[in-house]
Amino acid sequence: MDHSKKKLLTIVCLCALTGLLVLSSQASGAGDDEGGGTITFTAPVKGVFFEHSVHTEAGLDCESCHDDLFAMEAGAAAAKGDFTMAAFAAGNYCGACHDGSTAFDANSQCSSCHHAPSETIIFTKPVKAVIFEHKTHVGQGLECDSCHGDGLFKMATGSAEAQPDFTMQALYDGKYCGACHDGATAFASNTRCTVCHIGVKGYNQMFGAPAQPPGH
Amino acid sequence: MKINELEKLKNEGAENLPSGERRRFLRFGLAVTGVFLGGTVLSLTSARKAMGVVGNAPTKAGGFPYKPHYSMVIRENRCIDCERCMEACVRTNHVPSYGSRTTILAGEREIGPNKTERKFMPVLCNHCNRPPCVRVCPTTATYKDKTTGIVMMDQKRCIGCKTCMAACPYNARYFNEEVRAVDKCNFCFDTRISRGETLTACAEACPAGVRIFGDLTDTDSELYKLIHAPEKKVWVLRPETGAMPNVFYTNG
Repeated sequence: MDHSKKKLLTIVCLCALTGLLVLSSQASGAGDDEGGGTITFTAPVKGVFFEHSVHTEAGLDCESCHDDLFAMEAGAAAAKGDFTMAAFAAGNYCGACHDGSTAFDANSQCSSCHHAPSETIIFTKPVKAVIFEHKTHVGQGLECDSCHGDGLFKMATGSAEAQPDFTMQALYDGKYCGACHDGATAFASNTRCTVCHIGVKGYNQMFGAPAQPPGH
Repeated sequence: MKINELEKLKNEGAENLPSGERRRFLRFGLAVTGVFLGGTVLSLTSARKAMGVVGNAPTKAGGFPYKPHYSMVIRENRCIDCERCMEACVRTNHVPSYGSRTTILAGEREIGPNKTERKFMPVLCNHCNRPPCVRVCPTTATYKDKTTGIVMMDQKRCIGCKTCMAACPYNARYFNEEVRAVDKCNFCFDTRISRGETLTACAEACPAGVRIFGDLTDTDSELYKLIHAPEKKVWVLRPETGAMPNVFYTNG
Protein backbone atom coordinates (compact mmCIF):
# COMPACT_ATOMS: atom_id res chain seq x y z
CA MET A 1 0.00 0.00 0.00
CA ASP A 2 1.23 3.47 -0.65
CA HIS A 3 1.64 6.13 2.06
CA SER A 4 -1.65 8.06 1.65
CA LYS A 5 -3.73 4.92 1.66
CA LYS A 6 -1.96 3.77 4.83
CA LYS A 7 -2.81 7.11 6.48
CA LEU A 8 -6.47 6.77 5.45
CA LEU A 9 -6.62 3.25 6.80
CA THR A 10 -5.11 4.38 10.15
CA ILE A 11 -7.64 7.19 10.45
CA VAL A 12 -10.56 4.96 9.58
CA CYS A 13 -9.39 2.34 12.11
CA LEU A 14 -9.01 4.92 14.83
CA CYS A 15 -12.49 6.31 14.17
CA ALA A 16 -13.99 2.86 14.27
CA LEU A 17 -12.25 2.11 17.54
CA THR A 18 -13.48 5.36 19.10
CA GLY A 19 -16.97 4.69 17.85
CA LEU A 20 -16.95 1.23 19.38
CA LEU A 21 -15.76 2.58 22.71
CA VAL A 22 -18.47 5.25 22.76
CA LEU A 23 -21.15 2.77 21.87
CA SER A 24 -19.98 0.25 24.44
CA SER A 25 -19.91 2.86 27.16
CA GLN A 26 -23.42 3.90 26.23
CA ALA A 27 -24.62 0.33 26.46
CA SER A 28 -23.14 -0.23 29.92
CA GLY A 29 -24.75 2.97 31.23
CA ALA A 30 -21.52 4.16 32.79
CA GLY A 31 -21.82 7.93 32.72
CA ASP A 32 -22.64 10.46 35.43
CA ASP A 33 -26.16 11.36 34.47
CA GLU A 34 -26.73 8.45 32.22
CA GLY A 35 -30.15 7.01 33.07
CA GLY A 36 -30.73 9.50 35.89
CA GLY A 37 -27.98 8.73 38.42
CA THR A 38 -28.44 9.05 42.19
CA ILE A 39 -31.32 11.16 43.40
CA THR A 40 -31.26 12.61 46.92
CA PHE A 41 -34.60 13.64 48.38
CA THR A 42 -34.64 16.26 51.13
CA ALA A 43 -38.39 16.75 51.48
CA PRO A 44 -40.57 15.81 53.23
CA VAL A 45 -37.68 14.12 55.09
CA LYS A 46 -33.99 14.34 54.47
CA GLY A 47 -31.66 11.52 53.67
CA VAL A 48 -33.65 9.45 51.14
CA PHE A 49 -31.60 8.10 48.26
CA PHE A 50 -32.78 6.64 44.98
CA GLU A 51 -30.40 4.87 42.62
CA HIS A 52 -31.47 4.77 38.99
CA SER A 53 -28.86 2.12 38.29
CA VAL A 54 -30.47 -0.38 40.67
CA HIS A 55 -33.74 -0.04 38.80
CA THR A 56 -32.38 0.07 35.25
CA GLU A 57 -30.25 -3.01 35.93
CA ALA A 58 -33.37 -4.77 37.16
CA GLY A 59 -34.72 -4.40 33.66
CA LEU A 60 -36.83 -1.25 33.91
CA ASP A 61 -36.74 1.38 31.24
CA CYS A 62 -37.56 5.09 31.34
CA GLU A 63 -41.28 4.61 30.54
CA SER A 64 -41.80 2.29 33.50
CA CYS A 65 -41.87 5.31 35.80
CA HIS A 66 -41.65 8.44 33.64
CA ASP A 67 -43.91 10.33 33.23
CA ASP A 68 -46.89 8.54 34.79
CA LEU A 69 -45.49 7.97 38.24
CA PHE A 70 -42.70 10.51 38.36
CA ALA A 71 -41.98 13.65 36.39
CA MET A 72 -38.43 13.82 35.19
CA GLU A 73 -37.72 17.29 36.61
CA ALA A 74 -35.62 17.36 39.74
CA GLY A 75 -37.66 18.13 42.85
CA ALA A 76 -41.00 17.57 41.11
CA ALA A 77 -42.14 14.75 43.42
CA ALA A 78 -41.28 16.58 46.65
CA ALA A 79 -42.88 19.79 45.41
CA LYS A 80 -46.30 18.16 45.00
CA GLY A 81 -46.68 17.79 48.77
CA ASP A 82 -48.08 14.25 48.72
CA PHE A 83 -44.81 12.40 48.47
CA THR A 84 -45.42 10.32 51.60
CA MET A 85 -45.34 6.73 52.76
CA ALA A 86 -49.13 6.82 52.85
CA ALA A 87 -49.10 7.70 49.15
CA PHE A 88 -46.90 4.66 48.50
CA ALA A 89 -49.31 2.46 50.38
CA ALA A 90 -52.02 3.78 48.08
CA GLY A 91 -49.98 2.75 45.06
CA ASN A 92 -48.57 6.12 44.04
CA TYR A 93 -44.96 6.93 43.31
CA CYS A 94 -42.68 4.10 44.47
CA GLY A 95 -45.65 2.24 45.84
CA ALA A 96 -46.70 1.33 42.29
CA CYS A 97 -44.13 -1.48 42.41
CA HIS A 98 -42.95 -1.50 46.01
CA ASP A 99 -46.08 -3.18 47.30
CA GLY A 100 -44.64 -6.48 48.39
CA SER A 101 -45.37 -8.42 45.20
CA THR A 102 -43.50 -6.68 42.39
CA ALA A 103 -40.78 -5.40 44.67
CA PHE A 104 -40.20 -5.27 48.42
CA ASP A 105 -42.95 -3.58 50.37
CA ALA A 106 -42.24 0.10 50.90
CA ASN A 107 -42.89 -0.37 54.63
CA SER A 108 -40.04 -2.86 54.90
CA GLN A 109 -36.32 -2.59 54.34
CA CYS A 110 -36.41 1.08 55.32
CA SER A 111 -32.65 1.44 55.21
CA SER A 112 -32.58 0.57 51.49
CA CYS A 113 -33.68 4.13 50.77
CA HIS A 114 -33.70 5.99 54.09
CA HIS A 115 -30.40 6.88 55.64
CA ALA A 116 -30.48 8.04 59.24
CA PRO A 117 -29.69 11.73 59.39
CA SER A 118 -26.11 12.32 60.33
CA GLU A 119 -26.66 15.81 61.67
CA THR A 120 -27.71 16.49 65.27
CA ILE A 121 -31.41 16.93 65.82
CA ILE A 122 -32.08 19.98 68.00
CA PHE A 123 -35.33 20.45 69.86
CA THR A 124 -36.09 23.97 71.05
CA LYS A 125 -39.60 23.31 72.30
CA PRO A 126 -40.80 22.99 74.99
CA VAL A 127 -37.38 23.92 76.44
CA LYS A 128 -34.29 25.15 74.71
CA ALA A 129 -32.36 23.07 73.87
CA VAL A 130 -32.32 19.29 73.64
CA ILE A 131 -30.16 17.29 71.22
CA PHE A 132 -30.56 13.87 69.68
CA GLU A 133 -27.90 12.02 67.73
CA HIS A 134 -29.06 9.32 65.35
CA LYS A 135 -25.57 7.90 65.09
CA THR A 136 -25.43 7.14 68.81
CA HIS A 137 -28.62 5.13 68.55
CA VAL A 138 -28.15 3.53 65.14
CA GLY A 139 -24.62 2.65 66.25
CA GLN A 140 -26.08 0.67 69.14
CA GLY A 141 -27.86 -1.58 66.67
CA LEU A 142 -31.26 0.09 66.54
CA GLU A 143 -33.21 0.00 63.29
CA CYS A 144 -35.41 2.74 61.86
CA ASP A 145 -38.41 0.66 62.96
CA SER A 146 -37.34 0.65 66.58
CA CYS A 147 -38.52 4.26 66.97
CA HIS A 148 -40.21 5.16 63.71
CA GLY A 149 -42.22 1.97 63.48
CA ASP A 150 -44.41 1.94 66.57
CA GLY A 151 -45.41 5.55 66.33
CA LEU A 152 -42.94 6.76 68.95
CA PHE A 153 -41.58 9.40 66.63
CA LYS A 154 -42.64 10.61 63.23
CA MET A 155 -39.83 11.14 60.80
CA ALA A 156 -40.96 14.60 59.73
CA THR A 157 -38.87 17.39 61.22
CA GLY A 158 -40.54 19.17 64.09
CA SER A 159 -43.32 16.63 64.57
CA ALA A 160 -42.35 15.81 68.15
CA GLU A 161 -42.00 19.46 69.13
CA ALA A 162 -45.43 20.18 67.68
CA GLN A 163 -47.00 17.79 70.19
CA PRO A 164 -48.08 19.49 73.40
CA ASP A 165 -47.28 16.36 75.42
CA PHE A 166 -43.58 16.25 74.51
CA THR A 167 -42.64 16.61 78.18
CA MET A 168 -40.62 14.69 80.74
CA GLN A 169 -43.84 13.32 82.24
CA ALA A 170 -44.62 11.70 78.90
CA LEU A 171 -41.16 10.12 78.96
CA TYR A 172 -41.75 8.78 82.47
CA ASP A 173 -45.01 7.31 81.14
CA GLY A 174 -43.10 5.45 78.43
CA LYS A 175 -43.77 7.71 75.47
CA TYR A 176 -41.18 9.16 73.11
CA CYS A 177 -37.68 8.53 74.44
CA GLY A 178 -39.11 7.00 77.58
CA ALA A 179 -39.95 3.83 75.66
CA CYS A 180 -36.31 2.79 76.11
CA HIS A 181 -34.90 5.34 78.52
CA ASP A 182 -36.60 3.80 81.51
CA GLY A 183 -33.58 2.57 83.43
CA ALA A 184 -33.82 -0.97 82.08
CA THR A 185 -33.11 -0.73 78.35
CA ALA A 186 -31.19 2.53 78.55
CA PHE A 187 -30.41 5.06 81.23
CA ALA A 188 -33.46 6.39 82.99
CA SER A 189 -34.74 9.67 81.64
CA ASN A 190 -34.59 11.31 85.05
CA THR A 191 -30.84 10.73 85.24
CA ARG A 192 -27.95 12.14 83.22
CA CYS A 193 -30.06 15.10 82.19
CA THR A 194 -27.29 17.06 80.57
CA VAL A 195 -26.49 14.35 78.03
CA CYS A 196 -29.47 15.54 76.03
CA HIS A 197 -30.32 18.87 77.65
CA ILE A 198 -27.55 21.12 76.43
CA GLY A 199 -29.36 24.27 77.48
CA VAL A 200 -29.32 27.74 76.03
CA LYS A 201 -25.53 27.83 76.39
CA GLY A 202 -25.11 24.64 74.37
CA TYR A 203 -27.48 25.97 71.73
CA ASN A 204 -25.58 29.24 71.48
CA GLN A 205 -22.32 27.36 71.15
CA MET A 206 -23.75 25.53 68.17
CA PHE A 207 -25.46 28.40 66.44
CA GLY A 208 -23.94 31.54 67.89
CA ALA A 209 -25.58 33.70 70.53
CA PRO A 210 -28.41 35.95 69.32
CA ALA A 211 -27.75 39.68 69.16
CA GLN A 212 -28.61 41.40 72.41
CA PRO A 213 -31.67 43.62 72.11
CA PRO A 214 -30.96 47.17 73.26
CA GLY A 215 -32.29 48.07 76.68
CA HIS A 216 -34.91 45.67 78.05
CA MET B 1 10.13 82.00 112.04
CA LYS B 2 11.91 81.98 108.77
CA ILE B 3 14.34 79.28 107.70
CA ASN B 4 17.07 81.86 107.27
CA GLU B 5 16.71 82.98 110.87
CA LEU B 6 16.58 79.42 112.15
CA GLU B 7 19.73 78.51 110.27
CA LYS B 8 21.57 81.38 111.91
CA LEU B 9 20.73 80.10 115.41
CA LYS B 10 23.42 78.19 117.21
CA ASN B 11 22.83 74.67 118.56
CA GLU B 12 22.93 75.10 122.32
CA GLY B 13 23.27 71.34 123.04
CA ALA B 14 20.70 69.03 124.61
CA GLU B 15 22.08 69.43 128.16
CA ASN B 16 21.34 73.17 128.00
CA LEU B 17 17.57 72.78 127.30
CA PRO B 18 15.33 74.18 130.00
CA SER B 19 13.27 71.43 131.65
CA GLY B 20 10.04 73.31 130.86
CA GLU B 21 10.66 73.00 127.15
CA ARG B 22 11.53 69.32 127.50
CA ARG B 23 8.34 68.59 129.40
CA ARG B 24 6.28 70.44 126.79
CA PHE B 25 7.83 68.39 124.02
CA LEU B 26 7.28 65.10 125.79
CA ARG B 27 3.70 65.99 126.61
CA PHE B 28 3.08 66.77 122.92
CA GLY B 29 4.52 63.39 121.86
CA LEU B 30 2.44 61.54 124.42
CA ALA B 31 -0.70 63.32 123.26
CA VAL B 32 -0.08 62.24 119.65
CA THR B 33 0.59 58.65 120.75
CA GLY B 34 -2.54 58.74 122.85
CA VAL B 35 -4.62 59.78 119.89
CA PHE B 36 -3.30 56.91 117.75
CA LEU B 37 -3.70 54.38 120.57
CA GLY B 38 -7.24 55.46 121.29
CA GLY B 39 -8.13 55.26 117.62
CA THR B 40 -6.74 51.72 117.37
CA VAL B 41 -8.66 50.58 120.45
CA LEU B 42 -11.81 52.19 119.10
CA SER B 43 -11.55 50.58 115.68
CA LEU B 44 -10.81 47.16 117.17
CA THR B 45 -13.78 47.23 119.49
CA SER B 46 -16.19 48.63 116.94
CA ALA B 47 -15.17 46.03 114.28
CA ARG B 48 -17.05 43.36 116.20
CA LYS B 49 -20.17 45.42 115.97
CA ALA B 50 -19.51 46.26 112.32
CA MET B 51 -19.02 42.61 111.39
CA GLY B 52 -22.37 41.81 112.89
CA VAL B 53 -23.81 45.01 111.45
CA VAL B 54 -27.07 43.24 110.84
CA GLY B 55 -27.42 43.02 114.57
CA ASN B 56 -29.94 40.22 114.26
CA ALA B 57 -27.66 37.36 113.19
CA PRO B 58 -28.76 34.36 115.21
CA THR B 59 -26.79 34.24 118.42
CA LYS B 60 -28.60 31.31 120.01
CA ALA B 61 -29.63 28.02 118.50
CA GLY B 62 -33.25 27.14 118.02
CA GLY B 63 -34.39 30.62 117.11
CA PHE B 64 -35.02 32.43 113.85
CA PRO B 65 -34.23 36.12 113.72
CA TYR B 66 -36.68 36.84 110.91
CA LYS B 67 -40.30 35.97 110.43
CA PRO B 68 -40.79 34.98 107.60
CA HIS B 69 -37.18 34.06 106.89
CA TYR B 70 -37.10 33.92 103.08
CA SER B 71 -34.67 31.48 101.57
CA MET B 72 -34.20 29.35 98.48
CA VAL B 73 -32.88 25.85 97.87
CA ILE B 74 -31.55 24.99 94.43
CA ARG B 75 -31.65 21.40 93.24
CA GLU B 76 -28.63 21.63 91.07
CA ASN B 77 -28.85 18.23 89.37
CA ARG B 78 -32.14 19.21 87.75
CA CYS B 79 -31.03 22.41 86.06
CA ILE B 80 -31.07 22.11 82.26
CA ASP B 81 -30.19 25.72 81.42
CA CYS B 82 -33.47 26.42 79.70
CA GLU B 83 -33.02 29.92 81.24
CA ARG B 84 -36.73 30.44 81.73
CA CYS B 85 -35.92 31.70 85.22
CA MET B 86 -33.66 34.40 83.79
CA GLU B 87 -36.30 35.43 81.29
CA ALA B 88 -39.00 35.59 83.98
CA CYS B 89 -36.74 37.69 86.20
CA VAL B 90 -36.00 40.14 83.38
CA ARG B 91 -39.71 40.47 82.62
CA THR B 92 -40.83 40.86 86.22
CA ASN B 93 -38.09 43.15 87.50
CA HIS B 94 -37.22 45.10 84.34
CA VAL B 95 -33.62 43.97 84.28
CA PRO B 96 -31.69 45.54 81.40
CA SER B 97 -29.84 43.37 78.91
CA TYR B 98 -26.39 44.29 80.20
CA GLY B 99 -27.12 43.17 83.74
CA SER B 100 -28.58 40.19 85.47
CA ARG B 101 -30.14 39.50 88.83
CA THR B 102 -29.60 35.81 88.41
CA THR B 103 -27.35 33.83 86.14
CA ILE B 104 -26.71 30.20 85.23
CA LEU B 105 -23.13 29.02 85.37
CA ALA B 106 -22.09 26.04 83.27
CA GLY B 107 -19.23 23.68 83.77
CA GLU B 108 -17.94 20.29 82.71
CA ARG B 109 -16.61 17.85 85.19
CA GLU B 110 -15.04 14.45 84.79
CA ILE B 111 -17.11 11.53 85.91
CA GLY B 112 -14.85 8.80 84.65
CA PRO B 113 -11.98 8.14 82.27
CA ASN B 114 -12.65 10.19 79.12
CA LYS B 115 -16.19 10.92 80.23
CA THR B 116 -17.34 14.38 81.18
CA GLU B 117 -20.65 15.65 82.42
CA ARG B 118 -22.09 19.10 81.99
CA LYS B 119 -23.49 20.77 85.09
CA PHE B 120 -25.57 23.93 85.29
CA MET B 121 -25.64 26.01 88.45
CA PRO B 122 -28.01 28.93 89.01
CA VAL B 123 -26.52 31.76 91.08
CA LEU B 124 -28.34 34.70 92.58
CA CYS B 125 -28.08 37.02 95.56
CA ASN B 126 -27.69 34.75 98.55
CA HIS B 127 -29.23 37.22 101.05
CA CYS B 128 -26.43 36.48 103.45
CA ASN B 129 -26.84 36.76 107.20
CA ARG B 130 -23.54 38.67 107.32
CA PRO B 131 -23.64 40.43 103.97
CA PRO B 132 -20.30 41.82 102.80
CA CYS B 133 -22.18 44.26 100.59
CA VAL B 134 -24.03 45.79 103.55
CA ARG B 135 -20.76 46.02 105.49
CA VAL B 136 -19.05 48.09 102.82
CA CYS B 137 -21.89 50.35 101.69
CA PRO B 138 -20.94 53.94 102.61
CA THR B 139 -24.49 55.30 102.52
CA THR B 140 -26.54 52.41 103.98
CA ALA B 141 -28.29 52.19 100.62
CA THR B 142 -28.30 48.44 101.01
CA TYR B 143 -29.46 46.84 104.21
CA LYS B 144 -30.78 43.58 105.53
CA ASP B 145 -34.45 43.90 106.21
CA LYS B 146 -35.20 43.23 109.87
CA THR B 147 -38.51 41.53 109.20
CA THR B 148 -37.89 39.27 106.23
CA GLY B 149 -34.13 38.89 106.14
CA ILE B 150 -34.03 40.00 102.49
CA VAL B 151 -31.02 42.16 101.63
CA MET B 152 -32.74 45.17 100.10
CA MET B 153 -31.61 48.11 98.00
CA ASP B 154 -32.76 51.65 98.61
CA GLN B 155 -31.89 52.94 95.18
CA LYS B 156 -32.43 56.58 96.08
CA ARG B 157 -29.51 56.38 98.53
CA CYS B 158 -27.11 54.62 96.21
CA ILE B 159 -24.25 56.80 95.00
CA GLY B 160 -22.96 54.29 92.48
CA CYS B 161 -19.59 53.69 94.12
CA LYS B 162 -19.91 49.97 93.22
CA THR B 163 -18.01 48.82 96.30
CA CYS B 164 -20.84 46.42 97.03
CA MET B 165 -20.40 44.90 93.57
CA ALA B 166 -16.76 44.24 94.38
CA ALA B 167 -17.58 42.91 97.84
CA CYS B 168 -20.23 40.43 96.81
CA PRO B 169 -18.72 36.93 96.74
CA TYR B 170 -21.33 35.83 94.18
CA ASN B 171 -21.17 38.70 91.65
CA ALA B 172 -24.88 39.04 92.21
CA ARG B 173 -25.08 42.79 91.76
CA TYR B 174 -25.04 44.98 88.68
CA PHE B 175 -25.19 48.70 88.07
CA ASN B 176 -28.42 49.81 86.45
CA GLU B 177 -27.68 52.73 84.12
CA GLU B 178 -31.28 53.88 83.84
CA VAL B 179 -31.84 54.21 87.56
CA ARG B 180 -28.17 55.10 88.22
CA ALA B 181 -28.06 52.72 91.16
CA VAL B 182 -26.91 49.20 91.89
CA ASP B 183 -29.61 46.59 91.52
CA LYS B 184 -29.85 42.98 92.63
CA CYS B 185 -32.25 40.20 93.44
CA ASN B 186 -34.63 41.04 96.24
CA PHE B 187 -36.63 37.79 96.05
CA CYS B 188 -39.19 39.74 93.97
CA PHE B 189 -40.28 41.43 97.18
CA ASP B 190 -41.61 44.63 95.67
CA THR B 191 -42.97 43.03 92.51
CA ARG B 192 -44.50 39.81 93.83
CA ILE B 193 -44.09 38.84 97.49
CA SER B 194 -45.47 42.05 98.93
CA ARG B 195 -48.40 41.75 96.54
CA GLY B 196 -49.52 38.41 97.84
CA GLU B 197 -47.60 35.98 95.63
CA THR B 198 -45.89 33.13 97.40
CA LEU B 199 -43.20 32.44 94.81
CA THR B 200 -40.53 34.49 93.13
CA ALA B 201 -40.70 34.85 89.36
CA CYS B 202 -37.76 32.50 88.82
CA ALA B 203 -39.12 29.82 91.14
CA GLU B 204 -42.44 29.90 89.36
CA ALA B 205 -40.94 29.82 85.87
CA CYS B 206 -38.64 26.86 86.39
CA PRO B 207 -40.12 23.81 84.64
CA ALA B 208 -37.81 21.33 86.35
CA GLY B 209 -38.39 22.24 89.99
CA VAL B 210 -34.84 23.49 90.47
CA ARG B 211 -35.59 26.60 92.53
CA ILE B 212 -37.61 26.03 95.67
CA PHE B 213 -38.44 29.32 97.38
CA GLY B 214 -40.05 29.58 100.77
CA ASP B 215 -39.98 30.50 104.41
CA LEU B 216 -37.35 28.78 106.52
CA THR B 217 -39.43 29.18 109.65
CA ASP B 218 -42.28 27.18 108.13
CA THR B 219 -41.44 23.59 109.03
CA ASP B 220 -44.09 22.24 106.66
CA SER B 221 -42.68 23.95 103.59
CA GLU B 222 -40.87 22.01 100.89
CA LEU B 223 -37.93 24.34 101.39
CA TYR B 224 -37.55 23.37 105.04
CA LYS B 225 -37.88 19.66 104.29
CA LEU B 226 -35.27 19.75 101.53
CA ILE B 227 -32.73 21.64 103.59
CA HIS B 228 -33.23 19.53 106.69
CA ALA B 229 -33.40 16.12 104.97
CA PRO B 230 -30.86 14.17 107.00
CA GLU B 231 -29.72 11.84 104.22
CA LYS B 232 -29.13 14.57 101.64
CA LYS B 233 -26.01 16.62 101.23
CA VAL B 234 -26.81 20.34 101.32
CA TRP B 235 -24.15 22.95 100.70
CA VAL B 236 -23.72 26.69 100.18
CA LEU B 237 -21.48 28.57 97.81
CA ARG B 238 -18.26 30.07 99.18
CA PRO B 239 -18.79 29.42 102.89
CA GLU B 240 -15.21 30.50 103.55
CA THR B 241 -16.22 34.16 103.20
CA GLY B 242 -18.15 33.94 106.47
CA ALA B 243 -21.10 35.65 104.83
CA MET B 244 -23.59 32.96 105.99
CA PRO B 245 -25.69 32.77 102.80
CA ASN B 246 -29.35 31.87 102.78
CA VAL B 247 -29.42 30.11 99.41
CA PHE B 248 -28.70 26.40 99.67
CA TYR B 249 -27.75 23.82 97.07
CA THR B 250 -28.56 20.15 96.96
CA ASN B 251 -28.93 17.29 94.50
CA GLY B 252 -32.59 16.61 95.13
